[in-house]
Amino acid sequence: MIAAIASTLDCRGLLCPLPIIRLSKAVKTVDVGAVIEMLATDPGSVPDMEAFEHQTGHKILERSEAKGTFRFLVQRTK
Amino acid sequence: MDEDVKRILYVQTTGTEQPERSATVFFLAASGAAMDMEVGIFFTQLGPTLLQRGVPETLRVRKGGVTLGHFIEQARDIGVKFYVCQPSLELTELKLQDLIEGVEMIGGAAFNNMALEADQVICF
Repeated sequence: MIAAIASTLDCRGLLCPLPIIRLSKAVKTVDVGAVIEMLATDPGSVPDMEAFEHQTGHKILERSEAKGTFRFLVQRTK
Repeated sequence: MDEDVKRILYVQTTGTEQPERSATVFFLAASGAAMDMEVGIFFTQLGPTLLQRGVPETLRVRKGGVTLGHFIEQARDIGVKFYVCQPSLELTELKLQDLIEGVEMIGGAAFNNMALEADQVICF
C-alpha cells in the first residue's frame, strides 16, 4: 500500500533539466517516507527519473503514462 | 570529504564566440547537482568569457531563446561551483573582479587534484 501523496509536482511542459531540478528541491521539502506525485511531458524524464532513483536512492513506487503525460510516485527514502 | 558523495568535474573551454556551446555545461551540471552529486565547472581557455559581467544577461544560446544567465542561475542555485584559473583570465584579458559573483580562482595543482578526486571529468 502506497503512502498518501504529500504533494504534486507539475512539470508538464518543462524540458530537461528542470523536472529533475524541481524534483530534487521538492524531495527536500517533505518528510522521509513521504510520497511526491510528479507529472512530466518530456520523454527524457523517463530515463532521467531512473537515473535520479539510481543515484539518490529515492524510490519510484509507481510509473505510468497516459496521453503523453508521464506520472511518477516518488518516495523520499533518506 | 564525504566518500559516499559522487563528484563530477566539468571543464568548459569555449566562450562567447560560440554561444551554441555555452549552455550545455550548465544544464548538465545542474542535473548532476539535482542528483545529490558535488558538481563543479572549471572554466579554462576561452571559457571564462561566459562569466564576464554583462554576458549572462545578453548572450542568447540560440536566436530568440533564453539568455545564458537563465542556465547559469539554474546551476548556481542548486549548488554547482564555478572555478577559473589565472592563465585563462590573462588569455581572455579578464580579471576575477570582471566576473560574476561566486567564481573561485584556483591553480593547475588544485585543478589536477580536483580531477583525481572526481568520479568523472567531462570536457567541453
